[in-house]
Amino acid sequence: MYKGVLVDKGLLESDPHFAQGCSFCHKGNEESQNKEAAHKGLMKRPSDDLETCAGCHEEIAASYKNSLHYTSAGQRHGVMGRFSEGELRIFDVKIFEKSCRSCHASCGDCHVKSPAIGGVSTGLLKGHRFVKKDEGKTCALCHGGRVYPEFTGEYGGVPDVHYQKGMACADCHSKGEFHGVGGPYTSRRDVKGRPACIGCHPAGQEKSKKAKTAHTMHAGKASCTSCHSSGNYRNCYNCHEGKGATSKPGFILGRNPRNKDIVTTLRLVPTVRGTFEEMGIKMENFDRLPNYWDAYPHNIKKRTERTRSCTLCHSERKGFLTKEDLIKDGSKANEELLVVPKSLTK
Amino acid sequence: MKNRANAKRIIIRMFYAVLVLLFLGPLSGLARDIAPVVSGEWLEKNLSAPGLVIVDIRKVESYKAGHVPGSLSAFYGSWVAKKNNNTNELLEPDDLFDLLSSLGITPTSKVVIVGSVASAPEQCFRTRVAWTLIYGGVKNVALLDGGMEKWLKDKRQVATDFSKAKESEYEGQLEKGINLSKEQILAGLGKAVVVDTRPPDFFFGVAKVPNVAKPGHLKTAVCLPSPWLLDGEGMMKKTEELAAMAAGVVGPDHAKEIMSYCNTGVFASGWWYVLREVLGYRNVKLHDGSMEELARDPNAPIVKYTWK
Repeated sequence: MYKGVLVDKGLLESDPHFAQGCSFCHKGNEESQNKEAAHKGLMKRPSDDLETCAGCHEEIAASYKNSLHYTSAGQRHGVMGRFSEGELRIFDVKIFEKSCRSCHASCGDCHVKSPAIGGVSTGLLKGHRFVKKDEGKTCALCHGGRVYPEFTGEYGGVPDVHYQKGMACADCHSKGEFHGVGGPYTSRRDVKGRPACIGCHPAGQEKSKKAKTAHTMHAGKASCTSCHSSGNYRNCYNCHEGKGATSKPGFILGRNPRNKDIVTTLRLVPTVRGTFEEMGIKMENFDRLPNYWDAYPHNIKKRTERTRSCTLCHSERKGFLTKEDLIKDGSKANEELLVVPKSLTK
Repeated sequence: MKNRANAKRIIIRMFYAVLVLLFLGPLSGLARDIAPVVSGEWLEKNLSAPGLVIVDIRKVESYKAGHVPGSLSAFYGSWVAKKNNNTNELLEPDDLFDLLSSLGITPTSKVVIVGSVASAPEQCFRTRVAWTLIYGGVKNVALLDGGMEKWLKDKRQVATDFSKAKESEYEGQLEKGINLSKEQILAGLGKAVVVDTRPPDFFFGVAKVPNVAKPGHLKTAVCLPSPWLLDGEGMMKKTEELAAMAAGVVGPDHAKEIMSYCNTGVFASGWWYVLREVLGYRNVKLHDGSMEELARDPNAPIVKYTWK
């Protein structure tokens, strides 16, 4: 029998979460012998209402209420810069609350049961045991389009060196990124203490002279991923254009839209000019933001084709975004990301 | 006089050495310090044996859920590289040596590979890792028979910690001769025994995987599928049966040059390992680019709807 639906009987007696019976969280009427009556008011996902968990985990629930995992505010933040004030009001009512917000994660999606993707869940993590973390069955599903398959190498590339060493999401990403930082915020960049390569690999500790020289020469000019991303990562095209979004593997280098002095890996985001047209939003400020954004591909390797060969960037210019590569009818801001790497001098 | 006596002694010793080689030649693959396939019972008794390194090549999540005590996690994907549009190419030597160093493996280590036998590709991930280790200069490589599934079924010890190796600086000698380039395997057609290790549908050309451009097999290749190596329980078939299968398809001559290929260099390692390490065929090589690389070449002679 498929175990994803079975509650471990032994847990019911040993785990304090079950001390007050199933109905304490799931509601319904456990006294009734009639199915309809027993299921009346049943909550399939009790932690959708954070008060269910707040009784014992008050501080975490209060913080989580404002986290991006719960509010989905990051999705609004990512696109709102393209809207006029009036358009943002339409977006909030017609799209954000009805569509984006439906995707929030409840406590149980990470600690009890795999989250449902497209309405399908693989079920309980460990017979309804409340687990601290199980990234491969939780994070991996919601972030299974881009991040996790890149991390494990299942997106056609090679696994991230950190995965090879046995690391998983929570080994780098802090509790604040999962549970929030207390008050409301709108972007993952607002969380302090986010993982950074130099946190574990500070400059100056390189074993080889070649690495030391390369790091010194590129400091402040190129991100770590520019050289250490091992290859293709997922880029998304044409979301909501009436045809459905498509994804393609790619590797794109260009200026970081948040700091144009730095070259980094860019990922194409799926919002195109016509994405919200059907909802009456033309995106008056569409050209204010580019379609390519700084990406942190989770496919890091110590050695890549770019660490092995300077000419790949500085002579062949392989991977660098060019005017010809830009998506059709894209944002005018895209052109600001183009960069031509310097030729090698002797 | 003394010199002549010495020369005579040397000649006699050489004569005996040649005799030994002639008799033991077919068993040269067995001249190792560990059996090529070890049982769970053997491994459980030898968990702490000096020089033994147990490498678990399953996904990290599976390793964390339960593994052979003391085994080290080195996911299959760590052992191959995607290069030149080929899925399972050999790692660059420096990357391979880094990996071996991180696992504390030395050329004299005895390495037992633990994997899953749930599917035919997973069965051969184990032999592909074995081939890579041997290419890297590690001679004593073994497979855990029946994989982790059998180990769990037999209710043997399971750990959920994350074992870390004492890292070392690996310094081995690459055995480059066991890896074939596209040009080498094409040059071998009609001379060497070229073995297509995919299931018959692929060999015959009625099935094809998306990343292989054309259906069919290399002209003159013979069909010897790697999924036939294991029984229904994921256990390696008896040596006599494997030997009969091999002799029936590639012939009994253990000195004959044999070249294996498949779709992407995974199944090819199944029979490579059994022919060389279990049955003692001495001159067995593998093309890691396999049909993924070969079928892109318009000059590669690929035929279908024929067994020849």
